[in-house]
Amino acid sequence: MNNRRLSPLALSLFGLTVTIEMAAVWLSLGLEPSYDTFLYAVDSVVWAGAGALVASRQPRNPIGWLFCIFALVNAVMADAAQGWALRAADEGWRGSDAAYLVSSAGRQPSGLAWILTFLLIPSGRLPSRRWRAVVGLAVVGSLLTMTGWSFSAGLNDGFPSGRNPYAVEAVPMDVLFAIGMLLTVGAFLAASVLLVRRLRRSQGAERQQLKWFAFAATVATVVPPVALALWVVTPLAGVLIALMLTALPIAASIAILRYRLYEIDLVINRTLVYGAVTVLLAAVFAATIVVLGTALGRGSAWATAGATLVVAVVFRPLRRSVQDAVDRRFNRARYDALHRMTAFLDELRAGRAAPEEVEGILRDAVPEPDLELVFFLPGSGLVVDAHGTVASDRHKDGRERLLIQPGDRPIGAVVYEAATQEQLALVSRLVEAGGLAIEIARLRVELRHQLAEVQASRVRIIAAGNVERRRIERDLHDGAQQRLVSIGLALRHAQHELGVGASYEAGRTLDAAVAEVAVAIGELRELARGLPPAQLDAGLGPAFRELARRAPVPVLVKAPTERFDRGVEAAAYFIGCEGVTNAIKHADATRILLSAEQTNGRLVVAVNDDGMGGAAPVNGSGLTGLSDRVAALGGTLRITSESGRGTTLTAELPCGS
Amino acid sequence: MRVVIAEDQALLREGLGRLFADAGHEILASASDADELLSAVATHRPDLVIADIRMPPTFTDEGARAATEIKRVHPEMGVLVLSQHVETTHAVSLVALGGFGYLLKDRVLDVGEFLAAAQRVAEGGSALDPHVVATLVSGRGDDDRLGELTEREGEVLELMAQGLTNTGIAKRLYLSERTVEAHVRHVLQKLGVPESEDGHRRVLAVLAHLGAMQPR
Repeated sequence: MNNRRLSPLALSLFGLTVTIEMAAVWLSLGLEPSYDTFLYAVDSVVWAGAGALVASRQPRNPIGWLFCIFALVNAVMADAAQGWALRAADEGWRGSDAAYLVSSAGRQPSGLAWILTFLLIPSGRLPSRRWRAVVGLAVVGSLLTMTGWSFSAGLNDGFPSGRNPYAVEAVPMDVLFAIGMLLTVGAFLAASVLLVRRLRRSQGAERQQLKWFAFAATVATVVPPVALALWVVTPLAGVLIALMLTALPIAASIAILRYRLYEIDLVINRTLVYGAVTVLLAAVFAATIVVLGTALGRGSAWATAGATLVVAVVFRPLRRSVQDAVDRRFNRARYDALHRMTAFLDELRAGRAAPEEVEGILRDAVPEPDLELVFFLPGSGLVVDAHGTVASDRHKDGRERLLIQPGDRPIGAVVYEAATQEQLALVSRLVEAGGLAIEIARLRVELRHQLAEVQASRVRIIAAGNVERRRIERDLHDGAQQRLVSIGLALRHAQHELGVGASYEAGRTLDAAVAEVAVAIGELRELARGLPPAQLDAGLGPAFRELARRAPVPVLVKAPTERFDRGVEAAAYFIGCEGVTNAIKHADATRILLSAEQTNGRLVVAVNDDGMGGAAPVNGSGLTGLSDRVAALGGTLRITSESGRGTTLTAELPCGS
Repeated sequence: MRVVIAEDQALLREGLGRLFADAGHEILASASDADELLSAVATHRPDLVIADIRMPPTFTDEGARAATEIKRVHPEMGVLVLSQHVETTHAVSLVALGGFGYLLKDRVLDVGEFLAAAQRVAEGGSALDPHVVATLVSGRGDDDRLGELTEREGEVLELMAQGLTNTGIAKRLYLSERTVEAHVRHVLQKLGVPESEDGHRRVLAVLAHLGAMQPR
C-alpha cells in the first residue's frame, strides 16, 4: 500500500459513475420515494469508490476493476435508465419505453458481479480452471434471465404505455427466464460453497480476509428475506436492502485492503450476540404482551409497561448467557483459554501452581511453542525471561511484541511469532486475565535476580578481602619482618666490631636488643596468623599442618593433596582455624581431628574434638563471619555438639571438581 | 668458606655479608635476583650459596627454583635457602637433594647456630628449620611409634631431622656424644628406621618416616 494515489483509470470510472448517479438523482427526484433515489445512488457511488480503491492499491486484482465496471453499469442501467423512464413519462419526453426496458433488468448485472466476487475473493484468482465453468454458468444465466425478463409480455404493467412494445412472442420467454434463474442460482450456490470451503481451509491473514467478506455476505443473504417479509409492514424495509448492498462492497474492500485494522472476530461476535439478544428480547416482549394482554385486556398500557419492565430486567443476564454461549460455540479457543487461565489462577491461589507457569498457559492458548514472556527489570534495565535468564537480544528480534503495562511503565512483554488480529486479541485478553500471575512471576524473577546479584557481590567482596589479607601478610613478612632481621644483624655486627675487649655490659645490652628483635619478629608472625598463611599457597594440607603445629594439643590432620579454588581453600582454612581455636578455648579438648575431604563435588571440612560439647548451635562473631564466607560460596555450615560427647563443626563447600 | 649471597633487600644483603665476613668467610659476590645469582655462581664457583626464597619479579619462589637449578648444574655445591615463613613442600623436596639447607630468616640472629648450619650445608650435610620439622612431626600425630618416644628421644629426633650430626646434637642438648648415640639408636629402633653412618642418609630416612618424602 505504498501507492497512496488513485489510478487515473479507476478515478475516471469513479467520476463517471458519480456523474451518472447525480444525473439519475436529478431525473428521479420526486417521482419515487426519496430514500429509493438517494440510497441506491449512494450504493453505486460507494461501490465504485471501493472498486477504485482496490484497483489503485492492487491493480492486478480483478475484483477492483470488477467493482468499477459493474458500479458504472449499475448506475447506467438501474438508476439513470430508471430515472429517464420516470422523468420521460412524466414530462412526455421520448425514449421512456426504451429506458424502462433497460432498467427492468438493471439489477441483474449486480447479481453477476457478486457471484464473481464470491468466486474471486480475496486474491482475485480462481482456485482452479474448473471453476471457469461456474463463471460461464453465471454469465449465461444472467444473460438468459435478463433476456427472459425484459422481452417477456408479462412485463406489460411496468411500461408507461401499459404494454411491452419489445415483447417477443415467438420465443417462450418464461422458459428462458426460468432456465436463466436456475443457472444463476446454481452458480451462486457453487460460489457460496467455494467461499465456505476457502474459509475452512484458510489460515492466518487469508482467514481474516475471508471472515470479513463471509460476514458481510452472510448478512447480505439473511437481510433480503427479512426485508421482504417486513415489506408487508412498511415499504421502508427496502432501506435495509439498500444499506446491505452498500455494506457489501465496504466489507469486500476491507477484506482485501485493511483486514488488519479491525478485529473481525469481535464484529462477528457482537453481531451474533446482539442479534440473538434482540430476537430473544422481542420474543419475550411479545410473549409478555400476549400473556398480560389476556389478563388485563387487549391494548392495555399496563401490558406494554410490564413487558418493557420484563425486557429491561432480562437484558443483562440474557446478554451474559448469550455471550457465553456464542463464545463457547464460535470462539472455542478463546473460551477454553480464558477458562484455563481462570483455573490456573485458582491453582495458583491454592499454592498448587507456580506463577511462572503462566507462560505455558499463554503458549498453549495462542498456540505458539516459541512464545516467551519477558520482564523488564527496573534499575538494571535488563530484560529477562521467566527463569531470570537475560533475554535482551531475544525480545527485539522482529517478532510480535505485546507490552504488559498495568501501571505507568511496562513491566514486561509477550514475544511471539504471530500474525493475526485474532491471536493478538487473545493474548491481550489473557494477559489481562492472568495479570496477577504475571505480576507475581515478575516479582519472583526480580527477587531471584537481585539475590543472585547480592550473592555474586558477596563472593567478590570476600575474594577482594582474601586478596587484601594476602597482601598484608606479604607486607608483614617481606617488609617489617625483613627490616627487623636486618636490624638484628646490624646489632650482631656491632657486637662483633666491639670485639672481645668490649665491656660485658655492652655485650649484654646488644644481646638483649637482639632478643627484643626476635620477640618482635615472633609477634609479627602471630599477627600474620589471622591472615591466610603463605602455606595456603601450597595447598590445604600444608596450611592445615601449620595450623596443627601451632596448636597446644595434638591435632590430627587429614587433607586432600589436590588443589581447589582459592576462595574455597581460604574458607576451608578459616573453618579449620575457628574450629581448632574453639576446641582449645571453650571445649577443653585434648585431641582434635581436622579433616578435609572431597566427595561428590563438595569439599567437606570437619573439625571434631573430644571436649565437653554442648556448644550453642550458632554462637557469636567468629562463626557468623564463617557462615557468611560459607554461604557466599553456596555451602552449608553446621555444628553438632551434644553435652559430654565433643563438638563437630562441619562445612560443605561446592568445589566444582 | 667462599660464599655468594642472593637477597633482594639491600640492608639484609649487607647484614648477611657482614655476618659471614665477621666470621672470617669470603664473600665472592652479592646478587639481588635469581639471574644475577646464577651468573655469579657460574663465575665464582662458591662453596656455599645463600638465597632468599622470594625475589623479584614475582616474589614467590624464584630463589627455590634458582637453587634447584644450581644443584642440577653443581651437585657438590652447598645451597642454603632462607625463607620468611615455613613452606614444608619446598623445604623437604630441596633438602632431599643433600648439601641443602632451608631456614627461616630470623635464624640468622642466632649467629652461632646459623653459621654451624651453613657450614654443615657447605660440607654436603643438611639443615632443615626446626619449624618445618615440628610441622612434620605434628602432622604424624596419629603415629603410635612416635608416641612411644621419650621426651628426650623426641628432641633428638627433631634435631636429627634438622640435619644435625651426633656431635651437633650433643652440643645443643648439653649431653655427651655417647649418650646422644644411645638416644639415636633407640629412636631409630623404635621407628624401625635402618641405622646409617652417613648423616645425610639418616636425615632422609627420618624425613621419610615422618611422611615428608618417599624413602630411597
